[in-house]
Amino acid sequence: MKRGQKLGIGAVLLVGALGYLMYAGVEQGSVYYFTVEEFQARKAEMANQGVRVAGRVSTGSVQRRTSAKGTELKFTLGDFAEGGGAQAAGLIAVEFTGVVPDMFAEGRDVIVEGKYIDDTLRAQTVMTSCPSKYEPGTDQAQANARKPAAAQ
Amino acid sequence: MIDVGALAIGLGLILALYSVVMSLGGAWWRRSDFIASAEHAALAVWGMALIASIALLQALVRHDFNIEYVASYTSTTLPLYYTVAAFWGGQQGSLLFWLLILASFSAVVLLQNREQNRDLMPYVNAVLMSTATFFFLLLTFVTPPFERLSFTPVEGRDLNPLLQNYWMTIHPPSLYVGFVGFAVPFAFAIAALATGKLGDVWIRTTRRWTLFAWFSLGLGNLFGALWAYEVLGWGGYWAWDPVENAAIMPWFTGTAFLHSVIIQEKKNMLKVWNMVLIMLTFSLTIFGTFLTRSGVISSVHSFTQSGLGPFFLAFLALEVVVSIALLVWRLPQLRSENELDSLLSRESAFLFNNLILVAIAFAVFWGTMFPVISEAVRGVKITVGPPFFNKVNAPLGLALLFLTGVGPVIAWRRASWANLQRNFAKPVIAGLIGGVALFGAGVRSYWALVSFSLVFFVLATIVVEFYRGTRARQAMVGENALQALSRLIGKNRRRYGGYVVHLGVVMAFAGITGTSVFRVERQVTVNEGQTFEVGSHTLRYNGLEERDTPHIAYMTANVSLLKDGRPVETLKPEKRFYKKPEQPTTEVAIRSTLGSDLYLVLGSYDEDTRMVTILAYVNPLISFLWMGGVVITLGTVLAMWPSRVAVRARAFASQAPSEEAVS
Repeated sequence: MKRGQKLGIGAVLLVGALGYLMYAGVEQGSVYYFTVEEFQARKAEMANQGVRVAGRVSTGSVQRRTSAKGTELKFTLGDFAEGGGAQAAGLIAVEFTGVVPDMFAEGRDVIVEGKYIDDTLRAQTVMTSCPSKYEPGTDQAQANARKPAAAQ
Repeated sequence: MIDVGALAIGLGLILALYSVVMSLGGAWWRRSDFIASAEHAALAVWGMALIASIALLQALVRHDFNIEYVASYTSTTLPLYYTVAAFWGGQQGSLLFWLLILASFSAVVLLQNREQNRDLMPYVNAVLMSTATFFFLLLTFVTPPFERLSFTPVEGRDLNPLLQNYWMTIHPPSLYVGFVGFAVPFAFAIAALATGKLGDVWIRTTRRWTLFAWFSLGLGNLFGALWAYEVLGWGGYWAWDPVENAAIMPWFTGTAFLHSVIIQEKKNMLKVWNMVLIMLTFSLTIFGTFLTRSGVISSVHSFTQSGLGPFFLAFLALEVVVSIALLVWRLPQLRSENELDSLLSRESAFLFNNLILVAIAFAVFWGTMFPVISEAVRGVKITVGPPFFNKVNAPLGLALLFLTGVGPVIAWRRASWANLQRNFAKPVIAGLIGGVALFGAGVRSYWALVSFSLVFFVLATIVVEFYRGTRARQAMVGENALQALSRLIGKNRRRYGGYVVHLGVVMAFAGITGTSVFRVERQVTVNEGQTFEVGSHTLRYNGLEERDTPHIAYMTANVSLLKDGRPVETLKPEKRFYKKPEQPTTEVAIRSTLGSDLYLVLGSYDEDTRMVTILAYVNPLISFLWMGGVVITLGTVLAMWPSRVAVRARAFASQAPSEEAVS
């Protein structure tokens, strides 16, 4: 066998291993990512599945209770309209127990990851959008800017 | 001064464009006066970028809130160093900062090469100045930094409290310097293709630039990890967030480039591959800048669409098309002068190191872009999280660690059995002993056993190299051990600097393995006086302490670390409430030792019952990751330090007539 061929076999093996690892990684580590509106459209098929939903915490919806398990948090998630208020899309009820991130507040944009069971998104994680270095000036501008990004 | 700054950006755009045209025209018609004029224009571009930067800094420091940028990112109460750091704290300023670094590097490159590489320089200058033109275009038409408001607010909106951290002053500049630094070797690569001088001149000329860029980028990433670890309070340091991925991808391909150029220098092989790698690396730096600013990928960092996306894509497309066209045109002349002799050789070890690094970069790219790809293919946005990245990169990383031990020691061309035995018997034994010892100590994690065995193996190869070199000098020159060691390093700085860098990488691997495999994480909710355990530590929550200042209110949990029932140390995880703008932040309490970190976060508390929820982590060996960074720094400095021989050689070379074309 020529050396070039040996090297070729090595490279093919590497590419094969990479392909397998990436395939297995995607199988294990992938999660559907929706906006509130997209999720509402497909929530029936998403029951009991891991999902990530990006939305805005509705104003006036947050309830907190401290217990021996940590903070029990309930809120509703709306889309990126002002205040996360009532829209045609409808709101999603979210329940979470654990440590609530600092940036979590009514009207903030959050990404909730969890399972949708009995019409409630039972969250394992609540991530707040860290107001990054590159956000534009005003909240309104941010809302406008985020909408197309999230809807893509 | 504001108008001067805005004018400087406009003039800079014209000058940069002029410099590109005159460089290319000068090269085409062989007009040295054109080229000289282009270079003067490039120096003037640097002046313009500097003036614009000074103008923005002055506006920031003087709190000129009529300027939108100043009003958006600073306030009168912001400390001076954060006010200065706000220069790169926002979109417009960070792009100007990018440009300032690029223009400064370009000026240095021009001054370094006044007397050498004259045939390459017009193209080098053209590449650097077209990149500068692109950034001037953005600053002129898309995100002008000197935009005025219709009114002047009394107070600014202040820098986000999360960014008010000392890492803010050092992490972004370090990353940017790394990003921009790769523009220099890229420019020389393009110049080599354009002129047909395809030997290793372009590589040797930019060796220090490459190393410097690689080092800054790596350090920037490490600073980011440290920032996340100390500030964000989730117990980890790396989350495979798109922003992080954007910054680490060019580092992987840059690392590959750093290694493969050695093969071209020594063996005249891998010429096409080196071109591809530097093009890829430069493209990834532009892509990374695009990714973090375009809103294409939603991330925990809320990126926002700013209209920059299409410009970046256009520039990227232009850059890639020109690069590939030049490469294809020169392909016949880029054939290797040597062939790979054997799979068991240093050449092939380096080649596999390269393939693995590129594979890692590709996997990270794929995972980062997966939402976009899945949406295009299946119409559903699917994200892949840290499990994907860890699963793919852990085995690849270990293979890379193995090659870190093999590459520098294995024989060139073809390793014989005797050679393998001579070089690897001791390291392999060291690795096996280490692995068996850990197994005996109760370690059962397959990953940890493999990783630490490899760590011992690589460590042993490095030690053996230093030992052999020292002994050889002692025998030949008759120096004592210390003299011999220091002369050995002094005369082969690049090689032994490289070994020291490898030592740092091995330490980082140990730290990453320790925290990935043995990390303990616990969440407890406890009442005053209650004890709890995390890992082997026993802790007692003593109570809450409140403190109020005009700017910040503090809520601090007092936690004792107990040894034999007696408190030996107090940890104080804390919540802070900034009053303007209103925002809570979390201050973690870290007790750092060489073996492991105890990391406490005050999750939540109940003011009435004084009950608190505490997140407690034990992160074994994490200090080795940070120390690895220090060692990598030392190694890089060692490798970059100009040796006397090289200085003399350069002095000689500058008198000699210019080198002949290699093609």
